[in-house]
Amino acid sequence: MNSTRRLIRQTMTIARRDFIATVFTPIFLLFLFAPLIMVAFSTIGAMGAAQAADHGADHVRIVAIVPDALAGSFVEADRRSRAIFRRDEEPPALVTLAPARDPAAQARAAFESRDYDATAVLYGPLDRPTLLYGARGSRAADYLAVLAGSALAAERLGGELPRVTPTKISFSRQRATLGGQNQTAFLAVFGVFFLTLFLAGQVVGTMAEERSNKVIEVLAAAVPLEAVFLGKLLGMFGVAVLFVGFWGTVLGQVTSVLPPAFSGVVGELSPAVGLPIFAILFVSYFTMAYLLLGSVFLTIGAQATTMREIQMLSLPITIVQVGMFTLTLSGLSKPDSWLARVAEIFPLSSPFAMAGMAAASPSLWPHALALAWQALWVAIFVTLGARLFRRGVLQSGSTRPFWRRKG
Amino acid sequence: MDNQWAVTASGLAKRFGDRRVVDGVDIAVPTGAVYGVLGPNGAGKTTTLRMLLGIIEPDEGQRTLLGHAHPRDASDMVGYLPEERGLYPAMKAREAIAFMGALRGLDWATGRARAVELLEQAGLGHAADNKIRKLSKGMAQLVQLLGSVVHRPKLLVLDEPFSGLDPVNQERLEALILGERDRGATILFSTHVMAHAERLCDRLAIIAGGQRRFEGTVDEARGTLRSWVRYRPRDPAQVLPPLLPADAVRDGEDWRFPLPDEGIEPVLGRLLAAGAGVLNLSIERPSLHEAFVRIVGAPAEEIAA
Repeated sequence: MNSTRRLIRQTMTIARRDFIATVFTPIFLLFLFAPLIMVAFSTIGAMGAAQAADHGADHVRIVAIVPDALAGSFVEADRRSRAIFRRDEEPPALVTLAPARDPAAQARAAFESRDYDATAVLYGPLDRPTLLYGARGSRAADYLAVLAGSALAAERLGGELPRVTPTKISFSRQRATLGGQNQTAFLAVFGVFFLTLFLAGQVVGTMAEERSNKVIEVLAAAVPLEAVFLGKLLGMFGVAVLFVGFWGTVLGQVTSVLPPAFSGVVGELSPAVGLPIFAILFVSYFTMAYLLLGSVFLTIGAQATTMREIQMLSLPITIVQVGMFTLTLSGLSKPDSWLARVAEIFPLSSPFAMAGMAAASPSLWPHALALAWQALWVAIFVTLGARLFRRGVLQSGSTRPFWRRKG
Repeated sequence: MDNQWAVTASGLAKRFGDRRVVDGVDIAVPTGAVYGVLGPNGAGKTTTLRMLLGIIEPDEGQRTLLGHAHPRDASDMVGYLPEERGLYPAMKAREAIAFMGALRGLDWATGRARAVELLEQAGLGHAADNKIRKLSKGMAQLVQLLGSVVHRPKLLVLDEPFSGLDPVNQERLEALILGERDRGATILFSTHVMAHAERLCDRLAIIAGGQRRFEGTVDEARGTLRSWVRYRPRDPAQVLPPLLPADAVRDGEDWRFPLPDEGIEPVLGRLLAAGAGVLNLSIERPSLHEAFVRIVGAPAEEIAA
C-alpha cells in the first residue's frame, strides 16, 4: 500500500471513530436541536413582547375631526390606503369625530381621552389641516395628511374616489442586480461566519479525550500524528456537515411553504457567478473555513492540559472568528481596497472574503486559486499542529503546554 | 530487508532538557525471538521503545524496524502495548480491538470477527459487547493487549506488560506471548520483574542510566556472576582450610566458595584424598535477579518488583 493511501486510510479510521463517538450519543441530540431550542425560546420571547406591544397597540388611534359629510370619504380613503400595508406596518385604527365649537381644544382633548390613546389628530379644513401628534406619531400624522388629500379629492370629484382596476404581473429580473449582489455577498460572508462560529470551535477540545484516557500513545504508535489531527478534523467536520444538512433540509422544507413575499426576497439574492456555482463555492468556502479555523483551534487545544484551559480558550477563539468576519466585512464594503486584498489573502479570513467575492464578481479563476491556497494552509496548520504536539506533549511525556515550557 | 533482525538500533540517544535519558543504546533483536529490555525504573526503557517505534525521534543514532529505516513504514506489521494503557471508555471491547486493528490496516469486519475469537480464547467472550468503562482494570488491559495482536503483527512490542495484572492474568499474558512467538512473531518487551524475563526471554538487554550494560542470553547474564559451591563434609573435623579455596567461608556445617575457574574437580579430589568425604555438594548458579543487581550496580531494593 503506498504511503498516501495508507495515510488516507489511517485518517479515515480516526475520523470514523470521532464521528461515531460524537454522533451516537444522547448529547448529540441536544447539540442537533440546539437551534430549535434557541428558536423556541426566541419565539416565546417574541410572542410575549408582541402580545405586550399588541395589547398597547389595541388602544392606539389616529383621529380625524372632520364634518360628517366628509367622514365617509375619509373612512373610504383609509380603507383603500390601509390595504398596501403589511399587518405589522399598518397605521393605527381611524376614529372620526364631528368638529365641536373649538376643534383645536377638541384635538388636544382627544389626546386625553380615556377610550383610546390618540397618536395623531387632524382638524381644520382638509386643504390646510392642522396635525397634532404625540411621541412616535409623526408618520401617523403624515398618513392622516394623505387621507385628507384623498378625502378632499373625493369631495371635489363628487363624493367618491375613482375606482382603479389594476393588472398585476410578477416579473423576475434576468440580470443580477447590484443591490442583490451586495446583499448576497453579505449573506454569504455571514453564513460562512455563522456556521463556523457555531461548529469549528468544537474542535478545540477533541484531543483532550485522547490525552486524558492515554489513547494518544496507541494512536501515535500506529499512525502519523498528521493523520490523527486531520482525522479528528474530518470527523468533526462530518458532524458539522450532518448538522448543516439536517437544518438545511428542514429550512428548505419550511421555505417551500413560506408565502410568496418571502420567496421574492430569496429571489433577490443574485450572486454574480450564478446560483448553482455560488452554491458549490459557498459549500467549498464553508469547508475551508471550518478546516482552517478548526486546524488552528485543534493545534491550540491539543496543548491544553485541562478542561478549564480548554474552556478558557473559547473566548479568544470567538474573538479570532469575529475578527476575521469584521476584516472581511471591511473589505467587502471597499472591494478594490488593500483591506479587501488582505482579507482575501490572509488564510483565516480568505474563505469568508472569497465567499463574498463569489456573490459580487463573476470571475471564477480567483476561486480556484483561493481554494488551492486555503487547502495549502490547512495542510500547513495540520502539519505544524502535529509537530508541535509531537515535540511538546509526546516528546517528553510532559503535560505542560508549549506556552509554559522553557526555551 | 535483513530478515535476521527484527529490530536493530545503534547509538540511540535522546535528551529531555538537560538530561540525557538514553545514551547510545545498541540493540539487535533476532527475528522470532522473545527479547527483554530490562532495567530499573527511569532507566530509559520506555524512551528506547518509543524511539524504536517512531513515536519520538532520536537525537542521535539509527534504528530499523522489520528492515525499515523509518518505523512508520512498518507500522502495519507492529503491535504495541504502551506502558500507560489507554482505551476509549465508551467503546465496546469488540469494537476497541477492531479499532486498534483498523489503525494497523486490518479491515473492520475481519477485526470484529477476530476480536470475538481472541476474547473467547482469553476467557473474555462474555465481555465482547461490554463497554470498556464497565470492565475491570485487568480485563481492560487484556483487551488492549488483544488489540495489539489482532492484526497478527510480525513484531509485538510490550512496555511493562505485566504491571497491574493479577497472577492469573500474568499467566494468561505469558501464554499469549509464547503463543505469538510460536506463531512466528518477534516479541520485544520491557520489564523490571526478573521472573518474567527469566521464564520468557531468549535474549535480553539490561539498561541502566540510559546506557546498555548487558546484551545476551539469560544464561550469559547469569554468567556474569560466578557460581557458588556449597560443600558439607562427611567428617567436619577432618576438613582443613588449605584443602579449600582461600575465599571459602563457613556457613553452619557447610562451606561456601566461588566455583574455581578450573572447575570443582581439583578441590573435590583434594577433599576425597584427605578423607573429608562428601555429605552434600551443590553448585549454586546465580539468579537473573542477582545478575541484574550486579550489572545495574544498584541496591536490590531499588529494583524490587
